[in-house]
Amino acid sequence: MLQKKICMVGAFATGKTSLVAKFVYSIFSEKYQTTVGVKIDKKILEVQEQELNLILWDLYGEDEFQKLRTSYLRGSSGYLLVVDGTRKSTLQTAFDLQKRVEETVGKVPFILVLNKSDLEDEWELDLAMIEAVEEKGWTVIKTSAKTGLNVEEIFHTLASKILEG
Amino acid sequence: MSNSNRNRLAEESLNNNYIKENNKLSDLNEVSSIEDSIQPLTGELTQLRSLLLGIEEEKLHRFYQKLDNPQVDAEDISSMLPEAVVLRTMEDKQLSEAMVPTVEQAIESSVNQDINILSQALFPIIAPATRKAIASALDEMLQSFNYALEHSISPQSWKWRIEARQTGKSFAEVVLLRTMIYRVEQVFLIHKHSGLMLQHIVAASCTAQDPSLVSAMLTAIQDFVRDSFNVPKQEGLHTLQFGELTIWIEEGPSCVLAGIIRGNAPEELRFVFQNTIEKIHLKLGKEISDFSGDTEPFVASKPYLKACLESHYEKPTKSKYIYAGISLGILAMVLGVWGFLAIRDNKSWNTYVNSLSEQPGIIVNKTGRKNGKYLIEGMRDPLAIEPNKLMRKANINEKAVVHQWKPFISLEEEILVKRAAKLLQKPNTVTFKFDNKGVLNATGSAPREWIFSAREQEQLLSVLGITKYEDRQLKDLDIEQLNIYKIEIEEVRILFENDTTLFLPGETEKLSKLVSKIENLIDASNSLEKDVLIQISGHTDTTGIEDANIKLSKARANQILIYLTSRGIDRNNFITKAFGSKKILRPESTEEDKKFNRRVSFKVMIDDVAK
Repeated sequence: MLQKKICMVGAFATGKTSLVAKFVYSIFSEKYQTTVGVKIDKKILEVQEQELNLILWDLYGEDEFQKLRTSYLRGSSGYLLVVDGTRKSTLQTAFDLQKRVEETVGKVPFILVLNKSDLEDEWELDLAMIEAVEEKGWTVIKTSAKTGLNVEEIFHTLASKILEG
Repeated sequence: MSNSNRNRLAEESLNNNYIKENNKLSDLNEVSSIEDSIQPLTGELTQLRSLLLGIEEEKLHRFYQKLDNPQVDAEDISSMLPEAVVLRTMEDKQLSEAMVPTVEQAIESSVNQDINILSQALFPIIAPATRKAIASALDEMLQSFNYALEHSISPQSWKWRIEARQTGKSFAEVVLLRTMIYRVEQVFLIHKHSGLMLQHIVAASCTAQDPSLVSAMLTAIQDFVRDSFNVPKQEGLHTLQFGELTIWIEEGPSCVLAGIIRGNAPEELRFVFQNTIEKIHLKLGKEISDFSGDTEPFVASKPYLKACLESHYEKPTKSKYIYAGISLGILAMVLGVWGFLAIRDNKSWNTYVNSLSEQPGIIVNKTGRKNGKYLIEGMRDPLAIEPNKLMRKANINEKAVVHQWKPFISLEEEILVKRAAKLLQKPNTVTFKFDNKGVLNATGSAPREWIFSAREQEQLLSVLGITKYEDRQLKDLDIEQLNIYKIEIEEVRILFENDTTLFLPGETEKLSKLVSKIENLIDASNSLEKDVLIQISGHTDTTGIEDANIKLSKARANQILIYLTSRGIDRNNFITKAFGSKKILRPESTEEDKKFNRRVSFKVMIDDVAK
């Protein structure tokens, strides 16, 4: 059995937990996030003809009251940076978080997830901003927790990146 | 003492020896210079040198050899190895652990080469070990059985029964849980850096959540506590307690061992956990350091983890085995009685079925059991024996047997005889026998009317398969009776006084009886359509002349005739005859003999009469 630890980070209320809720197996409630600061789920994938268990550490969204516990990032093989398209500030938070994650776990694969694509009309992020991110070489995927758009896609993409090394 | 200290001391010792030997060498050089200058003293000096250095020369030579060739050879190791192994084994277990892979490979190699060598060597160990294991398992089973019994009849059991119902667990599970001191239910081997699960085992009958998620969460909790309370990095959370559940965590350099324990485990168990994590690091150190998500190599850690799955229950005192003893005794008794009854019933059943099969007019096709009852299927002639009679004889409960008969007409001898008897309404005095030629023979006796009736129905008998009805040996009961009357009458003798027609005293009584006998005879003969003639014979003794005797005998016969006709009997039934003294009954040697000769006797003649 092949296992990999991945983390999901992002600003507070970017919809991280909702995004994956329907797509992962979990035995813990959301209360863990507000208490311990992390909720752990599992996603089983078939990637490159082998079964892969992704142990997803859904970290509490950072806000002015609570900072990201970087010790939870230790040993991650990859991570998802979640941004709320309707709040521009969350992109900046994602940039900050990316630096801190990289300081902790080094250069490992990650994906910038632009969530709430079902509300794209209300987005504060414009195309130029997204292109600027893509120019940095980052992988950007638009998702929707409401419609389930691209949720499976982000797991497969990240898993493939991890396995490719 | 550490290894480095030992090496340092060894080096110092070697240097000291070296200095001493150098001092000796400088002394030797001085002696050589004296030898050159003082030639005459050569012999003495040689002697002196031999005296000073002769004994050490050999040692010196070996010492130089060591200096020239500092490498340790196999011979040296072989002399030190046994002692070294013993010393290190006494010190700690590292040598043993280090040798495990080598020993395993050696065993594998030996098995591959010749399996017999190891099997022969192990045989004396395996047999007693197997016996011990079986005995232990049986004891454990008996103990569990005793627990269940003991607790199933105690007042506390009702509380546990309620708990079992509420929790959805079985009663046995609750009993074990409540009599348990402690039980290690799960053991996790977790990669310390990533929190990924390397291996997980769970005790039998315990349920477990997804171990990979639990492993990650345990790691997160560790990190949470460490971050939240500013503890040193090397410190960790060792114990988590939640009600009756305790989680013990033992950390190694790269892995964490977490045991989920229900109950109160002794501190000694900590050593088991510590020992396990050490062994795993020693055996799988490389695999742990190279870990990148593949858990396959850590299957090898399972035997170590299983050693942690300990459990201890309250041990009952020996006396409590009485519950199991009594129960087993009762069980054995019940089984014994049941077995005895089952065997007895089976035997009775077989006897019944066999006797039923032997009965004429019954054909048993199938026997078995249905809905808890015995079942017999077959064919039965209505005149065959009633099965109930045989069941009573074989002591079989009639309600426990279901018969399913199809009726048929049997041609077996016994049934034919029965059927003929029923048809002819055979009297008990008649016996039928059926021979192999199809002839039904009637023997015994029967009233004439029945005999004729049977003959008339001979045609009906042929329908039953009887070719002929034969009754020649059957006696006519009415004729018999007629003959009886005849004999009775012919036995009567009326005796007279000498030379008179006067009866001897008491003879008149004979006459009155004779009248009724003759009346019966005549009635019977009439019913049989026979003609009866009674000859009244007069006799005298031999006294006197014969003519007179003839007259006297005739008078005597006539007197009897008169008497009988006077009583209403038809005169035509009689004839008289006078014999005089021609037919004496006894030779007359005494007067008594003469008395018997003076008589009237009777002869009955019966003839068929065609009317």
